[in-house]
Amino acid sequence: MIANVTSNPKRDGVVLQPSWLPDFCSAQVLFAVMIVAELLVFIILIAPSDETRPLIPRLTTASLFVQWLALVSAVCLCKLRPRLERLAPWAGVVVAYALMLLVTVLGSELVFAIDAQLDLGLTLPAQFQSRFVWRNAALCALIGAALLRYFYVFAQWRARVRAEAKARFEALQARIRPHFLFNSMNTIASLIPQRPQEAERAIEDLADLFRAALGNDEAQSTLGEELDLVRRYLDIEKLRLGDRLRVAWNVDALPASMHVPALLLQPLVENSVYHGIQPLPEGGTVSIDGRLENGRVEIAIRNPRPPENARMVGRHGMALVNTRARIEYHFGRRGELEIDAGPDYFACTVKVPDESRPDESVTR
Amino acid sequence: MKALIVDDEPLARERLSALLRDAGADVIGEASDGRAAVETVAKLHPDVVLLDIRMPVMDGLEAARHIANLESPPAIIFCTAYDEHALAAFEASAIDYLVKPVRLERLRTALERAHRFGAAAVQKVEQASGEHRARSHLCARVRGNLVLVPVGDIHYLLAEDKYVVVHTSKGEVLIEEALKTLESEFSERFVRIHRNCLVARDRLAGLLRGPDGSIHVKIEGTDASLEVSRRNLPALRKLVRTL
Repeated sequence: MIANVTSNPKRDGVVLQPSWLPDFCSAQVLFAVMIVAELLVFIILIAPSDETRPLIPRLTTASLFVQWLALVSAVCLCKLRPRLERLAPWAGVVVAYALMLLVTVLGSELVFAIDAQLDLGLTLPAQFQSRFVWRNAALCALIGAALLRYFYVFAQWRARVRAEAKARFEALQARIRPHFLFNSMNTIASLIPQRPQEAERAIEDLADLFRAALGNDEAQSTLGEELDLVRRYLDIEKLRLGDRLRVAWNVDALPASMHVPALLLQPLVENSVYHGIQPLPEGGTVSIDGRLENGRVEIAIRNPRPPENARMVGRHGMALVNTRARIEYHFGRRGELEIDAGPDYFACTVKVPDESRPDESVTR
Repeated sequence: MKALIVDDEPLARERLSALLRDAGADVIGEASDGRAAVETVAKLHPDVVLLDIRMPVMDGLEAARHIANLESPPAIIFCTAYDEHALAAFEASAIDYLVKPVRLERLRTALERAHRFGAAAVQKVEQASGEHRARSHLCARVRGNLVLVPVGDIHYLLAEDKYVVVHTSKGEVLIEEALKTLESEFSERFVRIHRNCLVARDRLAGLLRGPDGSIHVKIEGTDASLEVSRRNLPALRKLVRTL
């Protein structure tokens, strides 16, 4: 459940501030509430009590009763959520808590009255009405407090995961900037007198790259757009590095319309150029291979690895760590970043589920 | 004024060359990495070298150190696109530098005041930029000619009088450096086996006992066998076992 909740940033993105109160109308939260309610029923039945009646009928009536109260409370909280969120957090908690108690007290009164009228003997004899109601209220008070606390802690944890993913995105954006920007500016300045048309192209490519780099974290992109971005980036680097940078593309199998997080590939390719090509006097080839495998899109970026004494210093694996964390955030356990570092080559493979057309990709 | 341009990017060289001509300098050569730069300086004797920092094979800072150690070294002007640490280091040590894209006016003033930086000043920059890495090459002189020996090619270093003999797969050269400073600079690469000898760790092929009971080191790819002093033996034994 946790993985599902966290891997759905689009819906979360609608709520501007992470709320302490979950959306009680969502299936996941309702399910959690029902599980907790049923656990409560088991606890009630396991505890020593009136053993004269058979277990199964007791289980059924208790389940019906507790689930009914739990669901009515959940629906009330769901409907009142927009109002509760406008209150100060402490006031919201108090009101939500009071609401649950009220539902329990009223529900208990109602059930007791019906039971007494129909004389079903499901609750307690008539003289114990207040005992029945207050016991239920006390149970609700304890379980409700635990449940609200759980949702609060969960919301906090989720907010932290999101903040971390956002920070990582910003770190990825930041790394594209200074070094690359000034080198590209220098390249363009060199092109203007002799080859103005190439200079124009380079400016257009640079503008596209920075548009992507200055976009925001929630922005979803498509695989086609991401690959275009990589092409533009490599076009600029080719101007700078000349024949030293060679690129082998093999991405025809990839679904261009598939949604992916923005800046998924470019930082990895930039890494390849920075660590793999630049330190080699004769340069080398960056290869980008894409394929579909069991409903997963796999994109492998491979570059030569310079001998140890020629490697670049600093920025060790920053893009790798951040990209890996972002894949985890967006795809949960279904996505991964695989790294294969050999003595003279380096390859990293992005593996993400093809969510655009799951059925098609499996049969293809 | 004779100028040498050193940059690994062809377009950057092209532009700098045009600017230097506009500034009235004579571009007498170009080089695309630090090692080629040092060799070209020794051959062409320029008055000024425009030196990029990030380059393959040997970076600009190391090249500057080797150049500053030459006889009548040229003035050096560093050029860099963006290198936070290096820039801060230049400010700190008052070494002049240019940022890319270079402006003509700025190039003119730099050429006018082109200081001569000694090796010590460059070393200070390296330290301030937090990149005091070991050099990638050692600089030697063979019959008056400059020879750069890649540190990775060295088998062992043997101290003799006031020289150190550098043994490589291609032969041997003399350098005027102290074994002790070499040992601390390249501590990751070489291990001391004797008061007068450092051996490359990746060339250690094993230990041999001689007929007189002394222990010798076998060096991979050579017939050389070098005596191990009693003092260095325990550490060396441990190292050989982990190989």
